[in-house]
Parts: sequence; structure tokens; C-alpha cells
Amino acid sequence: MSFISNSTGAFYERSLAQMGSLRGSLERLQTQISTGQRLTRGSEDPAAASRLRTLARTQRLSEVQADNADKLARDLTEAGDEIAGAANLLSRARELAIRAANDTTGENGRAAIAEELAQLELELFDRANAQTLTGEPLFAGTAAGPAFVRAADGTVSYNGNSDIASVPVAAGTELERGVTGAQVFEFDLNGTPTNAFAVLAGLSAALSGGSPDPVAAAKAAIEGLDAAIDTTTRNQTVLGTRLAWVEVIQDNQADRALTIAEQQSDLGDTDLGEAIARLQQTLTALEASQSSFTRVSNLTLFNAL
Amino acid sequence: MPGAIFQIGRSGAAAARASIELTAQNIANSANPDYARRSLNTRELVGVSLTSNGTLNGVSIEGISRNDSTLVQQQARSSASALARADAELVGLRDTELALEQSRLFEGLVEFEAVLTQLEGNPLEPALRTNALETGRQLASTFQFANTTLGNARRQVQDFASVSLDEVNRQTSELSRINRNLVNARDGTAGQAALFDARDAALRDLAAEVGIEVTFADTGAANVRLAGPSAGSPGPTLVDGASTFAISSIASVDGTLDFAVGGAPVSLNGGALAGQAAALEAQADYQIQLDAIAADVIARTNAAQASGADANGAAGQPFFSGTNAGDMELALASGMQLATAPAGSPAGSANTTNLASLVASLGTDDGPVGRTDALLLGLSSRLSAQDVTRSGLSAIAQNAQATLLSETGVDLDTEAANLVRLQQAFEANSRVLQVASDMFDTILGLR
Repeated sequence: MSFISNSTGAFYERSLAQMGSLRGSLERLQTQISTGQRLTRGSEDPAAASRLRTLARTQRLSEVQADNADKLARDLTEAGDEIAGAANLLSRARELAIRAANDTTGENGRAAIAEELAQLELELFDRANAQTLTGEPLFAGTAAGPAFVRAADGTVSYNGNSDIASVPVAAGTELERGVTGAQVFEFDLNGTPTNAFAVLAGLSAALSGGSPDPVAAAKAAIEGLDAAIDTTTRNQTVLGTRLAWVEVIQDNQADRALTIAEQQSDLGDTDLGEAIARLQQTLTALEASQSSFTRVSNLTLFNAL
Repeated sequence: MPGAIFQIGRSGAAAARASIELTAQNIANSANPDYARRSLNTRELVGVSLTSNGTLNGVSIEGISRNDSTLVQQQARSSASALARADAELVGLRDTELALEQSRLFEGLVEFEAVLTQLEGNPLEPALRTNALETGRQLASTFQFANTTLGNARRQVQDFASVSLDEVNRQTSELSRINRNLVNARDGTAGQAALFDARDAALRDLAAEVGIEVTFADTGAANVRLAGPSAGSPGPTLVDGASTFAISSIASVDGTLDFAVGGAPVSLNGGALAGQAAALEAQADYQIQLDAIAADVIARTNAAQASGADANGAAGQPFFSGTNAGDMELALASGMQLATAPAGSPAGSANTTNLASLVASLGTDDGPVGRTDALLLGLSSRLSAQDVTRSGLSAIAQNAQATLLSETGVDLDTEAANLVRLQQAFEANSRVLQVASDMFDTILGLR
């Protein structure tokens, strides 16, 4: 008689192992469906898990960079507003200078103009020392103090530095935060460095009796005012261009955020339709093997004895 | 002669009854995994006589034989050893993956990078500075947490290994006891078959813990040696007849285990113990990588601090203290001490050059973020490959186990058929006795 037989123990062992593996895949599908996540641990798909980590990092950094871009846009808008105001002031000063240069304007008229020019100079000083919403000077470069200071003799000088901090607004893209006060208000006049405040204060002083020939002084001042207006509006353009750039970057970032979300979903989310179909398939297989197991295990010769 | 018929009928009935008892024993043990099916060996009994052609004396019971297949047993043992090794290593690596992934170290590093980037947008904002500082504190405790969970995973594997080692030494002394008894057991007895069952069970349990090679003495006593790196070149002896040689383990500082038999170092091939040793080595390697990443973060942030000036214009102080993942701590006391500006900058400088170079340094490919990703990717790839290996080994082991069961296991249908057959044999022999009795009566009734 041969020793080889179909052992009952082997049958139970095999059936248990098969049903166990079906139950295992059912549980995995169940977890995928209930969490919505395809991967519960990295080892299920190492490459996808690593890609998801990189995407999560890009997403987090993009959020912060978008914050930075918002803040930069606000700062640039404020700086632009202040410079536009300064340009208006200087245009008004130029009108006044032309009026003062007219011989028909009397001494009283010139005194009134001098008074107004002094006021304009004060207002320009305020605008040049404007601050951001969070309290930092707009035009001082990276320095802490006010951008311009007035000495005891009334002369105004630049107090900031020529550094401009850069802000990361997108992966690999840094934008300069603004322009320095020196760029906006200081210029060379006939080879001599001066600033808008000096031009205004000088004209005001000349018109209020400081000059023997106020008309000639007013005529001479127009050249300085032109240079001041020129410098200011040039920087207004710079800020406008930069602001437009920030907006382009913000649009790109928004597009990119969508792409990242799409990729994350592709890599990490459960495909519900597929998962549910597979769950149903596995359920059917498990039910079938359970019922065939009960039937086969009932088939024993002892029932016939 | 009627006396012979009685003798023949009696021996036949006795053999049938003994076979039925053995069948009942087989049925009773059909669910016992250690039991190998028994069958009764019988032999025709013929008396030799010088005067005639011989006398017929019925059947004699020779002994109990036990289904046994050394080769299949050996295959089942070695495949179970390989599976147990893969299983044990997989469990250790799973715990390691859990420790490193769920500590959310990668996310912690990205968050640190993100708050520093945010600070670049507004370097003098106190809220952002405090946020950056607290995220640094969080990062240090994340490293400590990862270090602790990795340590816990390591301790768990070490506990498993010490249980495995105890089991090995328990099974080898059990085997030596069985070997002693086998020497005294008579061939073909039920006692000998039971000892063989116990021997095979002990060998199976031993093989699950450590890879072995087995040779059998004439008595059936098992001599066990550690499996070598390849088949046919076995390692040192564990069991030789009645004597045993215990395996001992030596733990290193990094948590890995070395094994020795009788003081001489051995390498294990196969079995849970080998898998646990491999898992411990992997964990020691990941510990080194984790510490290196922590040291890298400390070095990069402290170097950046040293080359910068803080919000008050003072030289930057170290960001973190410590040298590895376990002792990393935040060293700065206030957000104002973050050296965002280059060295020599005055107080309140909005210059972020120094901060920008720190952010760039953290985010480079060989920086801590990239290295953590590489660490996790390496670990999960290794685990995934190990999982594939394990399912292959599991199929082989299941196959070998099924083959073993079909060779040695009890088939209830066969036993049921035997029951019917043997019952009929018993009835037939009873009938022979009846006939003998009738014949006797007939002879006695002759007048």
C-alpha cells in the first residue's frame, strides 16, 4: 500500500491559507476605501511615497511663498502710492516755480508760494519716511531707522542704506522688496549730488527773501525740479513693473498649486471605482471559497457509514 | 487439524482488532500536527515442519510502522527556516518604518524650512521670529521622538531574539532527552513511534528559530548542526546524541547581536534568530543615518547663526545644542536671536542674506530634507523587496508543508475505508472460528 494520501490536515491547511489571503486583501481594500488613501505606509509603493513627500514639500513651500508674494505685493503697492504722491507734490512745486519765475508775480505772491513750497517739502519728507503696515520704513533699504533725517539746520539727508532685501516668491525666484530712498529722491544736478528736499527748501528760502533775484532763482530751480520729477517717476515705473511681475508669479503659483494637487491625487488617492469593483470581486471569491469549503469538508466517508 | 484453524482464526481476529485500534488512533490524531500516520505491519505465520509441506499458523503482528519521509521533512524544515528568517526581518523593518515615518520627521523638516522662508518675507516681524523658533523646538523634539521610537523598535526585536534563543536551547535539550530514550526504545513499538513524533516536532520548532542540518543515527536519534552558508557545509554541532551545545548571544553597543557556540563565534543562516539579527543590523544602520541627519541640521543651522547678526545686531548664537538625534535641543532663548542678517549688520537690519543662505542650505539635494527622503525611500524600498521575497518563500514553505502533510498526515476517507475493510476482516475471522468450532463439534458428534 502506498503511503501517499490526500491528508485531511493538508486540505484544512490549504483552505485556511487561501481564505486568509482573500481576507487580507479585503481588509486592505476596505482601508483604502475608508481612508481615501491608496498608501498607508511607504513600503506599499516606495517610489510613489517619495514623490508624494516631494510634492507635499513643494506644496508647503508654495503656500509660504504665496504668503510672501501677497506681502510683497502690498508693500510694492504702498511704495508705489507714496511715490505717486511724491510725484504729484513735485509737479505742484514745479507749477509754483513757474509762477514764481513770472515777473508779474508780486512779492506777496512769491511769499505765498514760498510758504506753500515749505509745506510741500514737509509733506514730501513725511512721504519719504512712510512705513509698511508692519511698521518698517518703506524707503530705507534694509536699515532699521527712518529713511530720511532732518538736521538741526533743516537739511534733509538719507539715513538708510543701498541694500534691498530679496523675498522668495516662488521656487527659485526672488524679487527685490522695493526701491531705496536714495534711488527715489536723490539725483545729480549738473554734476553735484543733491536731493528733492534740498531743491524745494532752497527755492522756498530764495522766494522768501533769501535771494536778491528771486525770479532768476525760480527759473534755476525748475531744472532741479525736473530732475526730481524725472527720478521719482522712473522709480514709479520700476515699482509698477515689479508689481506686475508679482501678479504674474501669483497666477503661475495658483496654476502650479492645482497641478500639485492633481499629481497628489493621482499618486496617493484611492481610485474609488476600481477599489469598490475589486472589493466586490474579492468578496465574491471569498464567499465562494467559504461555501465550497463547507461543502467539501462535509464530504467525508464517515457520513456514509 | 482443527486446532490450527482455531489458531489461524484467532491470530486473524487479533490482527484485525489491532488494526482497527490503530485506525481509531489515526482518526483520533487526525488534527494533531505532530502525529504521523501509523500502520500495522503483519506477516504470514508458517510453521516449518520436516515431515510435511509445513503448517499454516495464521498471521503475526510485526510492529507499528510510521509514515516517514526524511527528505520531505528536511525540505519542510529548511523552507520553514527561510520563511521564519524573512518574517522576523520583515517584522523588525516594519517597526523601523513605522518609527521613522510616523515620527513625521520629513514633515517637521519641511515645516522648519517653510517658516524660515516665511521669515524671509518679513524678517523683523516678532510673531514670525517666535514661530520660527518654536518650529525649531518642535523639530528637535521630532528628532528625539524618532530616536525613541527607533529605540523601542530595536528593544522589541532584541526581546524577540532572546525569546528565540531560549527556544533554541530548550529544543536542543529536548532533542537530547529524546535521543537518550530512542536508544532504549524497541523497534516497531508504539513508544518508538511516539518518540519519533516528538523528535520531528522538536526539529521543526528548532528549525523555525535557527537554520539546522540534521543527520540521523541508526536508532533514529537526531544529530543537529547549525546550517552553514551553503548546503553541505554545516556549522558547529548543537546536538550530538545525548549531549548539547548551547548558543549564546553577545549584544554590541549599537544594539546588534553576535552569536557563539561554546565560545566560538558563529553566523546563523535561516531561522527567526537570523532574521532578528539582520533586522537589528538594519536598525543600527538607520540609527546612524538618523543621527547623521540630526547632526547635519545642527551643523548647518549653527554655522548659519555663527555667520550672522541677530535682530539686535549681536553675533548669532548656536541654534541647537547636542550632536545626534537623541540629545538635540533648542539652544536659542528668543526669536530675536535668529541671525537673519549677515555678520556685522546693525540692529534692526532687514537684510535677509544670511537667512536665505540657511534656507538654501537646508533645501539642497544633500541637505537634511533630501537625506531624510533618501532614508525613507531606502527603508521602504528594502521593506517592499523583502515583502516580495517573503511571499515567494511563504509559497514554497506552504507547498513543502502540504507535501509533508500528504505524506505523513491522516486522510479520514482512507481511515473510514479501512474501518469498513477491517471490520469485515474481523467478522470473517470470527466466522473462521465459528467454522472451526462447528468442525470440532461435528468430529465430536461422530458415532
